[in-house]
Amino acid sequence: MYRYDEFDAAIVRERVDQFRGQVSRRLDGTLLEDEFKPLRLQNGVYLQLHAYMLRVAIPYGQLDPAKLRRLADIAERYDRGYGHFTTRQNIQFNWVGLKDIPDVLQSLSEVEMHAIQTSGNCIRNVTSDHFAGAAQDEVMDPRPWCEIIRQWSTFHPEFAFLPRKFKIAVTAAEDDRAAIRVHDIGLHIRRRDGQIGFEVHVGGGQGRTPVIATKLNDFVPETELLDYLEAIMRVYNRFGRRDNKYKARIKILVTETGADEFRRLVDTEYAAKTDAEKIALPQAEIDRIHAYFAPPDLTRKPARSQILETAQAANPAFQRWIRVNLHPHKQAGYASITISLKPIGGLAGDATTAQMRVVAKLAEEYGHDDIRVTHAQNLVLPHVALDDLPALYADLDGAGLATANEGLVTDMIVCPGLDYCNLANARSIPVGQDIQQTFADPDYQEDIGRLHINISGCINACGHHHVGHIGILGVDRKGEEFYQISLGGRADHHAAIGDIAGRALSREEVPDAIKRIIDTYRDLRTSAAEPFIETLNRLGHTPFKEAIYAAD
Amino acid sequence: MPLIKNGCVVDNEWTFIDDSTDPDGTGLVTVSLPRYLQDVTRERTRNVTLGVRLTPSDDPDLLLPHLDHLPLIEIEFPKYTDGRGYSLAQILRRRHGYTGELRAVGHVLRDQILYMNRSGFDAFETARADLSQVLEALSEHSAYYQPAADGHPTVFARRHLRPD
Amino acid sequence: MTSVRPKLKPETPKAITAWDTASGQTVWLSADGQWTSDMTRLGVFTGRAAEDRLNEARAQEHLVTDPYFMEVTAAGTIAGRETLRETIRAQGPTVPYGEVPR
Ligand code: SF4
Repeated sequence: MYRYDEFDAAIVRERVDQFRGQVSRRLDGTLLEDEFKPLRLQNGVYLQLHAYMLRVAIPYGQLDPAKLRRLADIAERYDRGYGHFTTRQNIQFNWVGLKDIPDVLQSLSEVEMHAIQTSGNCIRNVTSDHFAGAAQDEVMDPRPWCEIIRQWSTFHPEFAFLPRKFKIAVTAAEDDRAAIRVHDIGLHIRRRDGQIGFEVHVGGGQGRTPVIATKLNDFVPETELLDYLEAIMRVYNRFGRRDNKYKARIKILVTETGADEFRRLVDTEYAAKTDAEKIALPQAEIDRIHAYFAPPDLTRKPARSQILETAQAANPAFQRWIRVNLHPHKQAGYASITISLKPIGGLAGDATTAQMRVVAKLAEEYGHDDIRVTHAQNLVLPHVALDDLPALYADLDGAGLATANEGLVTDMIVCPGLDYCNLANARSIPVGQDIQQTFADPDYQEDIGRLHINISGCINACGHHHVGHIGILGVDRKGEEFYQISLGGRADHHAAIGDIAGRALSREEVPDAIKRIIDTYRDLRTSAAEPFIETLNRLGHTPFKEAIYAAD
Repeated sequence: MPLIKNGCVVDNEWTFIDDSTDPDGTGLVTVSLPRYLQDVTRERTRNVTLGVRLTPSDDPDLLLPHLDHLPLIEIEFPKYTDGRGYSLAQILRRRHGYTGELRAVGHVLRDQILYMNRSGFDAFETARADLSQVLEALSEHSAYYQPAADGHPTVFARRHLRPD
Repeated sequence: MTSVRPKLKPETPKAITAWDTASGQTVWLSADGQWTSDMTRLGVFTGRAAEDRLNEARAQEHLVTDPYFMEVTAAGTIAGRETLRETIRAQGPTVPYGEVPR
C-alpha cells in the first residue's frame, strides 16, 4: 500500500493550511460564498440540507487500520458517531461544522489522508476494482497506476476549473468491478506482447443524460498514459460546453462532436505535444510506486481448509455468509471477503464509529492491514486465510457486520436522498429499507440470486439508478414523492442504461411492484442458474413492465 | 485596476481597445485576436504598439507567427470558474515558447492566482486581491506533481534527483 | 449563491431560512431580525417587507449562507410543496441513523 514521502506529506500539510486560511476568510467575510463555494467543493465540503458535509478521499478505495481508526475518531469527535461510504469509494461525514473542518483535515493529514478534489469541477478521486491485488482475473494490480493518476491529478493547475466534474476509473480485470464504462475516462489495463498499456474509454456517465463510454484507444503504452490523459483533458477543458451545466460533462462533448472527430482532436493535441511538454515519468518513479503494492506475505496454505469446513458444517448462517460474501483469491488457501454495510433496515453504506474500529482491528488480526471500500458501498478485506474466516465471522457478527447479502437484492446502492441532500427530490433511504424488508428472508434472497437495485433521490444519479438491473429514481410531483422504475441497466463489462418502465409509483407502491418484477423473473427463468439480468435480456422488458403495473 | 507583475504592483501602461472603437490610437494597446491578426502588419506604419487580448475560445495557435515580437498577451477570464485560460497559457508558454508578458485579466481572484502562475501567467490584473494576498497565494505550496509552465521540477523528478 | 426554490406569491406568508455559516446549522430569521435555531421563534413575512428582509439577510454572508424564502402558515408552521424538505431541514433525517439495526 502506498505511503507518503516527504513531498506527498508536504503537499497535504500545505493544503490544510491553505484551506484553513480560506475558511477563516470566509468566516470574516473577505471571501463571498460565491467565491468560496468552488474552493470548498474542491476540498469536499458541501452544504447539505441541515449541515455541512465533508467528503474525505479514499483513493481507489484503499484503507488501512490506522486510517479507518482515524475516520472513526473523526466521526466520534466531530460528527455524530458514524460515516457514510459512497459509490466513489469515499467516506462522507454529515454533520461537521465549517469552523472544525480545518482541524479535521489536519487530523486526516496525520494518517496520510485528505479531502482534495472530492468535489468540484476538477479531476476527482480515482476509483478502481475493490479486489485489486487479490483478484484471480486481473492482468496486474491496477493500484500503482491509480496512485500515479492520483498524484498527477492533484492540484493540476490546468484542470482545476473544468466545465464540469471529471471521474476516472481503472480496472485490470475482465470482470469490470469499477464500472469504467460509466466514467468520464475508464481505463482497462491490458498486457500486449509483454508490455502494459491502457485501453481508454471516454465519455461515459450517468446523471441527467446517461451514456455508455466510447472506446477511444485500444492500447496506450504505460509510459505515455499521463500525456495521453492530458491531451484528453485539454481538449475537454477547451472545447467542453460551459453554457449549460447539464451539457458540460465530457460525454456531451464526445456525443456532439462525434467519436471520430473527438478522437482526431485528442490525437492532434497529443501529437502536438513537444518533448518539453511531456511528463516524462522516470522509470525509477514508476518502479518506486509499484514497489509499494507488492503482494502481502501470504504463507502457503492448502486450497481447502479443514477449520473452515468444520465451522461451515456447524453453522448454517456462517455457511451462507461464506457462500455469498466470499470472493476467490489469487492464492490458494485465501479469500477476499465482503463486509456488508447493508444490514436489513440499516442505512446503505453507513458504519458507526464502533464498527469502523472493529473492522480496523480485524484487518490487523486477519487481513494483512488491508481494507477496501467498494463502489457498492461495502467494505472488503482482500486477503484473509480461509482458516481465519470462522473467527473473523464471529467478530463481525458481534458488530452487526455479518449480513450475508453481497450482490443480492438487499445489497442496494442507495444515495442519501432527501434525508440529507440539498438537491434531492425524494427520499431514497426509506424506500430502500422498505424493499429490504420485503426481501429480508435470506433464503428468498439467495434464491433470487444476483440482482442490483440502485436508488437515486434525483436525476443526478448518485445512486447509479441508470445502471441498476432495477433502477429507482425519486421524483417530485407537487410536493409528493414518486419513484420511477427502470429495467435492464448494468455497470459491468456489458454496461447498459436501463429503460424507464412507465409511470412513476408512489412510495407505498414501490416494494410490491419490485416484488412482482422479481416473482415474474422467478417464474420465467430457465433455472435458478439464470440471473435476473439474463432472463430480462432474453425475454425483453414487457412481462416485467406488466408486472410492475399489475396492480392497476 | 491594480496590476501585479513579478511580485510588484506596477502601472498599467496598456489600454484595451474593443473592436467597435476607432483603431487609430497611439501608445500601447491590446486588441482582440481577429483585429490583431488584421492590424499587426500595419502596426509599424502607425504610432502604436500592439498587444492582443484573447478570449477563452480563441485559438492560440493563430498567434504562432507573431509571438517573437508580441510584448503582451492578455487572457481574459470572464468568470473565474472558466478554466480555458489555463490551457491557452500552457500552450503559449510551453508549446510555442512565448516569453513576453502573459497577463490574466477579468475575474481574477486570489485563490486562482497560484494555478494561473503555474500555467504561465506572470501578471495579474485584479480588483479582488492586493499584493500581499497575491504573494501569499503564490507561496502556498512548495512541491508540485505535474510539470507546468512555471518550470518547477516535478515531485516525480525531484524524488530521483541525486544530490551532487 | 441562491438555491432555486419554488417561487412564492408576494401575499403568501413566508419565513426566511438559511444555514449558519460557521456551523452549517439550519437557522430562521426571527421577527426581530435575529438568526435563531429555534424554529418556534421564526418570523412570518409577506410582500415588500419580506423582500427587504431577504435582501438584508443576503448581505450577511459571513453569518448565514444562502438565505431563501420558505412557505409557512400565518401561524409560522411549515407549509406548501416543500413541506417535507423543510421539515427534514428542521428536524433531521426521517430515519434513525448512527446506530446498528437489530
Ligand atoms: S442522486 Fe440526487 S438526491 Fe441522491 S445524493 Fe445525488 S444529488 Fe442527492
